[in-house]
Amino acid sequence: MKWIENVGAGAIRIAEEVGGILLLTWQVLRSFVPPRVDRQELFKNLHKMGNRSVPIVVLTAFFAGGLMTLQTGPFVKKFGAHALAGWGAGYAVLREIGPILIALMFSGRVGANNTAELATMTVTEQLDGLRALAIDPVRFLVVPRVISMMVMLVALTVIGDLVALTGASIVGRAMLDIEWATMFHSFADNLKPYDFLHGVYKSLAFGGAIAVTSCYFGVTVRGGAVGVGKAVNAAVVAAAVSIMLLDFFLTYTTG
Amino acid sequence: MAAYIEFKGVTKAFGTKPVLEGMDLAVNKGEVMFIIGTSGVGKSVTIKHLIGLLRVDAGEIWFDGQRVDDYSEREFEPLRRRIGMVFQSSTLFDSMTLAENVALPLRKHGKLRHADALVEAKKRLAQVYMDEYAERYPAELSDGMRKRAAIARTLALSPEVVLFDEPTTGLDPVSARRIDRLIRELAEKLGVTAIVVSHDLPSIFGIADRVAFLYQGIVHAVATPAELRASPDPIVQQFITGQSSGPMETPGF
Repeated sequence: MKWIENVGAGAIRIAEEVGGILLLTWQVLRSFVPPRVDRQELFKNLHKMGNRSVPIVVLTAFFAGGLMTLQTGPFVKKFGAHALAGWGAGYAVLREIGPILIALMFSGRVGANNTAELATMTVTEQLDGLRALAIDPVRFLVVPRVISMMVMLVALTVIGDLVALTGASIVGRAMLDIEWATMFHSFADNLKPYDFLHGVYKSLAFGGAIAVTSCYFGVTVRGGAVGVGKAVNAAVVAAAVSIMLLDFFLTYTTG
Repeated sequence: MAAYIEFKGVTKAFGTKPVLEGMDLAVNKGEVMFIIGTSGVGKSVTIKHLIGLLRVDAGEIWFDGQRVDDYSEREFEPLRRRIGMVFQSSTLFDSMTLAENVALPLRKHGKLRHADALVEAKKRLAQVYMDEYAERYPAELSDGMRKRAAIARTLALSPEVVLFDEPTTGLDPVSARRIDRLIRELAEKLGVTAIVVSHDLPSIFGIADRVAFLYQGIVHAVATPAELRASPDPIVQQFITGQSSGPMETPGF
């Protein structure tokens, strides 16, 4: 009956982690009343998390867009459906591939970094140092990070969408001989503003999930350097699972 | 007259391991009180209780006529502006320069703008002879320099009480005595009450007004340094003379 014990212990641990994440989410929401965010921390995090992520997002988005054209292009040519060449790539990129790929890249780069930074601060008593200075660590450290990640993931997704559509057009022209104008008209005629907005609000939710999970595992770490490694691992896994669950839920409920 | 700070029957355990077992200690206003004892006996644990970084399992803690052990986290915030703490590991923020570290409490509580807080922070760093390193990051400095900067940050809010957790551990003797002098000056010139956790015998006998010797979860003895040195208690004598054999039980050895 050992396996039943293990399953039970695992379930309790997951319930504790989910409860902790929800509690932290509540503390973050409560910190907005009154809305006093440390501007120094906010701008520092916006720069660190956003600006420095642009190159990797541009690279990922360009090839994601190009890949969509490569996958759909042969069928478009086979059936002579050139008017749909951009729609196939654009629809997938704006609604799914763009937000998800960029969120996963963002989680691996920014979320993991955030967990490691907060976890190191926790094990070296820097969070206790803040509390000893009568400064609330959630309000001072977590809230600016949550805002920064949500804002920057949306901004990066918008940039990524544009780059992906450009990538799709370049690959279509260079490798499948699809005219620029054909791709442009295909985008303009078939993609709706809601396709773009659908991806944007998904990325807002993904940003929130990455921020809260990465902060939670950072501030609850135990056990020195080994604990920091485990916290980063747990944060990346939890963020990836959250992104997939949220994506399914949001796609199902909002189409 | 009631003591300024009072621990009454404080009990604390971590899991199944008891650390404090009904500890009593009274500290008077303006005095430099050292808490000494072997490693793991609960010295740092004791002072962390006073500002709510740890919560008592049982017992009471009083500060300036108020019972504080049952305060909420929010209630502790004004108390933490009156009682500062210098941690053993300095706890300066790695991502900030020394000036930004010291400016932080001034910005948050002194309501100074960032630029004004930085100017004020440099003045505070000058008090601990660290102003020329104001633009450096903690990782670029020695332990002693970091501790002095941490003291400047703690003093930025002009606390009435400062808790020092092993302030001279790991420092060379000259730096250690400078820290001692700083603690003594705080008490004499500014009337700051200091509670110092330490193993450093030159510090203890150099600047303490009184010393509390913690052993087996309680305060085993409270005395002036001279009384401690003359104590006939074999456990106290073993500790202050650093003998490896004697009546003192040291878990793990």
